[in-house]
Amino acid sequence: MPDGSAGRNDTRELVACHQCDELQYIGVLAPGQSVRCYRCDALLARNPAGGLLLPILLNLGALLLMLLAYFLPFLTLEIQGRLQTTTLPGTAKALYEAGMGETGIVVLLTTVIGPVVLVTGSLYVLLGVKLYRPLPGLRHIMVWIGHVLPWGMLDVFMVGVLVAAVKLSDMANLVVGPALYAYVALIVVSTAALSLFEPHVIWARMDRMGVWYRAR
Amino acid sequence: MRASCLGLASCAVCNQLMRLPARRTGLCPRCGSQVYVRKPASLSNSWALLLAAVIMYFPANLLPIMTVMYLGSGQPDTIISGVIRLMMHGDWPIALVVFVASVLVPLLKMIVLLYLLLSVHRKSTFRRRERTRLYRMTELVGRWSMVDVFVVALLAALVHLGVLADITPGPGARAFAAVVILTMLAAMSFDPRLIWDREEDCQ
Ligand SMILES: [Zn+2]
Ligand SMILES: [Zn+2]
Repeated sequence: MPDGSAGRNDTRELVACHQCDELQYIGVLAPGQSVRCYRCDALLARNPAGGLLLPILLNLGALLLMLLAYFLPFLTLEIQGRLQTTTLPGTAKALYEAGMGETGIVVLLTTVIGPVVLVTGSLYVLLGVKLYRPLPGLRHIMVWIGHVLPWGMLDVFMVGVLVAAVKLSDMANLVVGPALYAYVALIVVSTAALSLFEPHVIWARMDRMGVWYRAR
Repeated sequence: MRASCLGLASCAVCNQLMRLPARRTGLCPRCGSQVYVRKPASLSNSWALLLAAVIMYFPANLLPIMTVMYLGSGQPDTIISGVIRLMMHGDWPIALVVFVASVLVPLLKMIVLLYLLLSVHRKSTFRRRERTRLYRMTELVGRWSMVDVFVVALLAALVHLGVLADITPGPGARAFAAVVILTMLAAMSFDPRLIWDREEDCQ
């Protein structure tokens, strides 16, 4: 609620909750602090501990792990001496070759393209904000990250790997490839990177850098 | 006080608060996205996507998601028969995971969306906080239903050894992927602020 004591605290920001539209002020958040809507309990904003350097390093690590996870052999199947190997993107290709290209594209978007866009996009934005440089396209990439965010499903794919392994257990031997280890590390690193990436903080920093669509 | 009562709206992308007069749409000064007081055509979009998801739910469960051929014999598997096979094999934890992710979650998500849509149409004021929480849950869990699509993709890529063993994906997997995507889109087009909208709120 707007009140009379605003003069002293001009760092407070007036926001409307995305889920109930209630107006409320949020003050400066300490690292690690988050605020929820007093009316509907939705998360309004957070300020992840760790600053900007840690998420930059984590995203850089995730990018390297992606090279390993996507290009090296993921799993190898062995039945009576015969071998069959696949990479992670190879699973999408298998669907395409079986005449289910649309489903293959869904798998590719959720496990490869989505995560790549998220990691490279957030790395670029974080670098721009950290270096205090209005790199080209910062604003657009932030908008894109918001759209892609719900479609990254690296963690869900892991459950798929476990289920597939159980289903194959009495039919064949499964040999874990180097990409699978990289992929498990990638889930940990990219989840950590994402939890430290808070659009609210980035937009606020970009405000101070003068990255505006048009002057207010 | 609610933002819409003061002619204010927040950008869905960057959270920037801006003045939106009667036109009800405008460009966000901060990120350049189109800003609306409420998601445009939220209810009709959400209904249409939910209906499409319900329709696709039938082929997703009735058609085989894959066919497993092992040493010359085998049969098509639907989602349910896959769960039963895992259970009969004694793999209870995995059977439970697949059952929850592939059967329970999509079904519950569609029921919850149906309930939320109906409650908004009835202008219900019943437990609005809990209903908003319910909405957040549907947004959170929906993606986990994609597990079975990934399983089919993995098995199809791995098991290609001619007469020895061969797994081919079935049309059920395609329908199932459609259900997951359609329910995610239906949840995204639903505007939870509608749960809180009542004419007398602005007085
Ligand atoms: Zn709220
Ligand atoms: Zn905006």
